[in-house]
Amino acid sequence: MSFFGFDATLPRDRGHPTNAPGFGQAPDPFAGISRGLEDNDDDAIDFEETYDGLGDNLDETDDAFNDDTFGGGDGSQKPVGKDFDFFGQTAKVSDAINEEQLLFNRQQPPPKSVSAIAASPRETQAKPLKTGYEKYKQPGNIPDLQVNESLWGAPSKKTTATAKVGEEEITHQRHHSASRKKMMSLEEVEAAMRSKKPVAKVAPRQPPTAAAPAQQQLPSAIPLQQQVPAPPAQQPQMIPQQQLPQGPRFPQPSRTEMPVYAAQQPPQAVHRQSVTPTHTGASRPPPPPRQILQNPNRQQQHSGPRNLPYQQPAPSVIPGGLPPHASLAPLPQQLLHLSEEERTAFLIEDAKRAKRNHKIHLLSKDNGLMTPQDKNFITRIQLQQLVTATGNPNESGTDAALMEDFYYQVHNQIRGGPRQNPHQPLNSFAQTYLFRTDGTPGGVAGRRQHRGGDNHMQRMEQQVQRAVEASKARPKNNQLVLEGSLGKISFSNAKTPKPLLNFKRTEISNDPNRPHHAGRGPQSAFSAGDRKSVLHAIEQAYDTLMQIEDHERYMPLLTDGSDPTVVQRHMEWKQKMQNLNKKLWEELKIMDPIVPDAASPHPFIAFLSYAKGKKAIPRIFRHIDQDQRVIILTMIVVFLGSLDVVRFAQLQPGELQLPTAVREEVELFSQAVMPSLFAYVNEAPLNIVVGLLGIIWERVNVQAIAKTKIGLGILTMFFSRGELIRQAGDGDEREWESWSAMYNRIFDTLESCLGQIFPPSINSAEDMYVWQFLAALGVGATPEQQQRLVMAVKDRVMETVNQSKTLPPEMGTQKLGNVNLFMRSIGLDVGLLG
Amino acid sequence: MLFFSFFKTLVDHEVTVELKNDISLRGTLRSVDQFLNIKLDGVSVVEEDRWPHLASVKNVFIRGSVVRYVHLPGAAVDTALLEDATRRGKWCRGLF
Repeated sequence: MSFFGFDATLPRDRGHPTNAPGFGQAPDPFAGISRGLEDNDDDAIDFEETYDGLGDNLDETDDAFNDDTFGGGDGSQKPVGKDFDFFGQTAKVSDAINEEQLLFNRQQPPPKSVSAIAASPRETQAKPLKTGYEKYKQPGNIPDLQVNESLWGAPSKKTTATAKVGEEEITHQRHHSASRKKMMSLEEVEAAMRSKKPVAKVAPRQPPTAAAPAQQQLPSAIPLQQQVPAPPAQQPQMIPQQQLPQGPRFPQPSRTEMPVYAAQQPPQAVHRQSVTPTHTGASRPPPPPRQILQNPNRQQQHSGPRNLPYQQPAPSVIPGGLPPHASLAPLPQQLLHLSEEERTAFLIEDAKRAKRNHKIHLLSKDNGLMTPQDKNFITRIQLQQLVTATGNPNESGTDAALMEDFYYQVHNQIRGGPRQNPHQPLNSFAQTYLFRTDGTPGGVAGRRQHRGGDNHMQRMEQQVQRAVEASKARPKNNQLVLEGSLGKISFSNAKTPKPLLNFKRTEISNDPNRPHHAGRGPQSAFSAGDRKSVLHAIEQAYDTLMQIEDHERYMPLLTDGSDPTVVQRHMEWKQKMQNLNKKLWEELKIMDPIVPDAASPHPFIAFLSYAKGKKAIPRIFRHIDQDQRVIILTMIVVFLGSLDVVRFAQLQPGELQLPTAVREEVELFSQAVMPSLFAYVNEAPLNIVVGLLGIIWERVNVQAIAKTKIGLGILTMFFSRGELIRQAGDGDEREWESWSAMYNRIFDTLESCLGQIFPPSINSAEDMYVWQFLAALGVGATPEQQQRLVMAVKDRVMETVNQSKTLPPEMGTQKLGNVNLFMRSIGLDVGLLG
Repeated sequence: MLFFSFFKTLVDHEVTVELKNDISLRGTLRSVDQFLNIKLDGVSVVEEDRWPHLASVKNVFIRGSVVRYVHLPGAAVDTALLEDATRRGKWCRGLF
């Protein structure tokens, strides 16, 4: 209809009076003027008179669908439907935003300027009828649409009020708005009929759910109609009109247009609804006020003295539908009573507020775009990425983490580095290494994190865990060989970088046919003189050791009344532990036969001659029983003379110091092996101590070992243990006899070389172990033996005492303390020496 | 993963990173990643005469592939643990 710019609505309007002389017509005071009974009514200067009637010849049967085709329609350019606007739908969740828009628009002069419209109303009147493309020229966003709403709504009223335009045009406009209203109502009625029972009488003011957008602001219209005093005569007309908006006035055309509007403008229902009173109340002289009341956009722009009286009922109306207006301090009509200053102040303030609201609106434009579920989802994704990049904090201590990140995990727990999860208890691994480094196990006890009861966090954690597991499972086949491809496609990520080398690993355990095992059994091929095979044996022992330590962590806790499955599992665990123990014992080769005068040392001694072999001893001692410990101790004692730390630790004539490597080995031995042995010997019964001393006496050159730190240390160990047992009063007579015999023999042997057991340099503070030995010897000595002892070391004692006087106080006291240790054991004191 | 695991424990320790272009940088290890990329803080160049243009550099990100050596602070390394970690690595992965 608007395709060629023709006023295609005319025929419809023209036809209306004849076809529909119903209730809708009477209240329209201009209907008779403009149209009369027939088209050629000439009561006034009529557009119809200048109209050549060509439009009548047009085939307009299907014009109703023009709107479908061209998207135009009466006045449709202004309120473009919002049903395509999903953001708008979302934003509707809060009326606030719409209200802010209204507020804002009210403050801003309409872009296309009301003044232009006021200047040439005719032109603007014609505009709506023009091309149907208008809406494409409009900025697409919603605020602008709102602005236009006021644009188009306002001038028509204004022209009506000022009566500067031809009455016919006014009528036309009014009909136009009326038809819009009616169409809207029909839509609502239909919607209502769809949603409710057809029998129900549905008033347009209670639009069904289908017209949801309209519903929100609807209340503002309702009170208005009720409050505005309407002439009694009009009342019956109003009501039917609302109930049957599709009056007989617009029989066909409007009806056909209905769906179009329904599709295009559902949100506009508000405005259509608000138009209703205007039309019904048209007979009353000034219709605009009510529109103004309902269209807040115009309140300020057009608030003139004329409107004033009619705004009075407004306050009760406005709060219902438009809270923001209610919240604005003085109402516009009150504003008029204010002084100029106050008014400007108010306006400025109002502008500020509106500005702020606009800002908020702009910022809140994207509010509510994401539901909480969306946010949670995103958070989970981010967490998962974090987890795959850095490792799961909850994971530390699990097997996988320990496998991949063993050093870091354990190191951190020992050294108290930045723990990923500070609540993670030290695991048994860390304790293993802690005990080894004899640090204090800090904060071990169950500080299991008590998680907040946040269900969501738990779920998130679970999900993360699952995701991590899934991603763990994936890299297993991180290579894809596509058929026909020349290479392999491998997936890599930060956690599992693309392996550049790819070879199959044979299983380490239980494969006797592995290349470097081929042709030799572990036993037969082992040669204690072969460095490589010894080292290999040590490594195997370590492997087993770590398996044991691993296995230890899985021990099922056995409590009283544990259920059978737990007991069963515990038994299985125990069984496996025993197997591992056996394996370890074999790998230590400690039970290999002792071959006298063999070219190579015993395998176990060879084992001990390497630093890592020594280091293994304390860990091994933790996992073996007392019998096994005494076997190890016996083995060491038997081969004491051939231990590297004894054999190479004897100073050659002229040597003042041992080679560094030897000293380090000695140091390591006394730190790693001796404490384990000592711990055992401290609980050993007298017969074992005597037996071991006997072995030393028989098999070892006592004078030779006495010149070494380790040898002396072991002798000290036995002598002091014997003395402790004696003081405790344990042991029977026969054992004591053999003890005394053994003591005497060794004492006799050592007496001659007591002067040489000291390290050559008297300055070194390292002679403490010698004084310790002498003390252990002196405690168990008879008075006669003590005398001999004093005679033997007298020179050294005097030397040391004298020297201690020249040393700085600290070192001097230390030296004196060492000497005193010995002196007191024989009932003397350095103080006596003066 | 052993190297990564190991270097992680050196975070906040002073290390000297020797690059393949002979520059040596000493600084506090801030972070390290799977590729052994390194972030150093408080950087000083070891031979400042040779590399004067680096005198004002305070922190660096070093791509792992250009590192020749990292000089470790001995006290911060737990050798026994490292040995065990190596054994463990031999069990399970083979690589690294």
